[in-house]
Amino acid sequence: MSAQCEKVNSTSPAYEFGPKLKLLRSNDQVRELQTILRDNVRTVHRNTSRTDFKFYADRLIRLVIEESLNQLPFDTCMVMTPTGNYYKGTKYQRGNCGVSIVRSGEAMEQGLRDCCRSIRIGKILVESDSDTHEARVVYAKFPHDIADRKVLLMYPIMSTGNTVIKAVNVLKEHRVAEDNIILSNLFTTPIAAQTITTAFPLMTILTSELYHIAPNHFGQKYFGTD
Amino acid sequence: MAAKIQPFDPPSSASSDSDLNEYRDVVGDISVALDNDDEESDSIISSSMSPSKQSTSAPSTVLVKSPRSTLRQRTTSVSQSTKKTATESVLQSHTRTIYTAGRPPWYNTAGQQVEPFVIGVCGGSASGKTTVARKIIESLNVPWVVLLSMDSFYKVLTEEQHEKAAHNEYNFDHPEAFDFELLTSTLQRLKDGKKVEVPIYNFVTHARETKTKTMYGANVIIFEGIMAFYNTDVLKMLDMKVFVDTDADIRLARRLKRDISQRGRDLQGVLKQYCNMVKPSFSHYIAPSMIHADIIVPRGGDNTVAIELIVRHVHKQLQARGFKLRETLAMSYVGQPLPSSIHLLPSTPQTQGLHTFIRNKDTPKDEFIFYSKRLIRLVIEFALSLLPFKNVIVDTPQCVPYSGKRCASDKICGVSILRAGETMEQAVCDVCKDIRIGKILIQTNRSTGEPELYYLRLPKDIKDYMVILMDATVATGAAAMMAIRVLLDHDVPEENILLVSLLMAESGVHTIAYAFPQVRIVTSAVDPEINEKFHVLPGIGNFGDRYFGTEPEEYLSS
Repeated sequence: MSAQCEKVNSTSPAYEFGPKLKLLRSNDQVRELQTILRDNVRTVHRNTSRTDFKFYADRLIRLVIEESLNQLPFDTCMVMTPTGNYYKGTKYQRGNCGVSIVRSGEAMEQGLRDCCRSIRIGKILVESDSDTHEARVVYAKFPHDIADRKVLLMYPIMSTGNTVIKAVNVLKEHRVAEDNIILSNLFTTPIAAQTITTAFPLMTILTSELYHIAPNHFGQKYFGTD
Repeated sequence: MAAKIQPFDPPSSASSDSDLNEYRDVVGDISVALDNDDEESDSIISSSMSPSKQSTSAPSTVLVKSPRSTLRQRTTSVSQSTKKTATESVLQSHTRTIYTAGRPPWYNTAGQQVEPFVIGVCGGSASGKTTVARKIIESLNVPWVVLLSMDSFYKVLTEEQHEKAAHNEYNFDHPEAFDFELLTSTLQRLKDGKKVEVPIYNFVTHARETKTKTMYGANVIIFEGIMAFYNTDVLKMLDMKVFVDTDADIRLARRLKRDISQRGRDLQGVLKQYCNMVKPSFSHYIAPSMIHADIIVPRGGDNTVAIELIVRHVHKQLQARGFKLRETLAMSYVGQPLPSSIHLLPSTPQTQGLHTFIRNKDTPKDEFIFYSKRLIRLVIEFALSLLPFKNVIVDTPQCVPYSGKRCASDKICGVSILRAGETMEQAVCDVCKDIRIGKILIQTNRSTGEPELYYLRLPKDIKDYMVILMDATVATGAAAMMAIRVLLDHDVPEENILLVSLLMAESGVHTIAYAFPQVRIVTSAVDPEINEKFHVLPGIGNFGDRYFGTEPEEYLSS
């Protein structure tokens, strides 16, 4: 384990992600949320840890979703304010939808709903075989016109990227254009990020942190099944 | 006896169960302060509630209602409300018109304090000091008057002294009976415009109650007591000194009547106390202090001519200190670059889109609220990132230490400026668990255009907190400035204040940054102009009205 640490710590420029990988604008507040979600004391030892964990996870998710929405296209427009003056603003384009990868991706659905009240949400269930670690798609349900929509694909933790690759392949089978997909992610390892940007160079990826260890306890902690 | 001086009780010593009464910092103070002179041996707290004290308990009731009556004006159409402003602000209740108005600015455009005017009222026991003080308050017609009674500063008695007091042998009319140290510091802080905790003296136990009375925000301070002119430090603080000179016979008569009929004491005891202590003390300490007086009022409260003279002088003094705040604020700093204390939420397509929704006058109410909330959440999250953080290393479930950040201050509280600021409370509660929320009500006086402070309720130990001060829009910055001034008066360090809003006008930003350079200003957009109604342009309109659905009728129909 320690050998791996050193290697990643000293060689992060060795990875190549391309221009489509975007990082959430970091500040101390975001860093604190990330720290809490990784903190062993907060996540494992405390009795109240699950509500606590969910609370801070939801806050980070909200920020990531807000930033993901910024990747969507928009038009400019003029509106009149109550004071009778004009304001040059922007208007979001219609025709978006969300797709969550079951199960941990579902943790991000509420965050999306909090921002877009009536957005359609599809689901994909990808299961990895416990023996071969091979990921396979078990279930997928999308809006019927998903091929014409921008898709916000939600999956919070990526350590290898295998699951996401399967999910994106399913979307492409449903004729979703690669550059219409935005992957919304909380934590990714550089390896996973590189794997995905190499496999799908046109897909936009938004994450809050690139770090060599993924907090793999996330889904279990969030849903309380550890 | 000097060794028995009660040490100054820190404000935090008050018990938390007193929360309900504690923070009514507003002029309701007067009721208590007035009462405790009348009822030396009774419990002060209950007396302020007693119905027989109608004249003195009136201010607190009128005052609590007054903000509501002003709010109500907004639901009516403008033409009606302007008429009503004139009549409602002169809400008559035993000629106490003064309590219906809010407190106008007590600081200049740079946010610095203008000192309140301090009147000292001295006189012998039962000479009518309180009556004179009350008449001055009534005729002054000035809001935010604090009456500080010397009785609050009696020393805590020892068991032995307590025993003596029961036999009318303890001398309450001697300078030694008062805690001048505490009195001086309290008066000085009041004069500096700071919040003070005035002890409540219990005349039964001869000790201070665990509760204290919070006094804050005076334009005029009236300080009354038998030894008001005794201490030279106190004397220096008085801007005007009034001595109430009532004939000794009348004073004795009043005392006899009061002590025997109202307090059930026997003639013998009262006379013994009078002859042995009250009278000698008057000749030794009180009567000689008359030389310090600017005005000597014979016959006490009945002397209307003298009171009128005093009132006229005070008015003149207050006028000399007064000024028009808001217009000056709106006019300054045109075209200057934005100050460094402002922190703008990074503009993104989403924040611009949210602004477009909430600025559009045709946005339906539910959408307006929904998108406002989204924007508020982003602004609050951004504001939190400006708090102090420290580096920490945590263990992770993956058994690899992780170096991250942790907020360095665990005491954070929100303070909203009513009403529009309240729209931001939910977002603060959503991101900070169990956060305390204080409130400040500031309304614009329709006739003067000045902001006025009506009400405040803050966490008791707010000085120890990082304060997130919330208002949805900041135009001239007058209300925000008043709110910041209130926080500073409550000893919140300037650098611990974050002023958070959705939209600000450039002039407001400059005003606040100039007056309070260490207050960090957080907002999502800065608009260039303000119209003659002090609305931001192009702006959002009246955010509070739109959020709560209380737009005036003619606006809805247009």
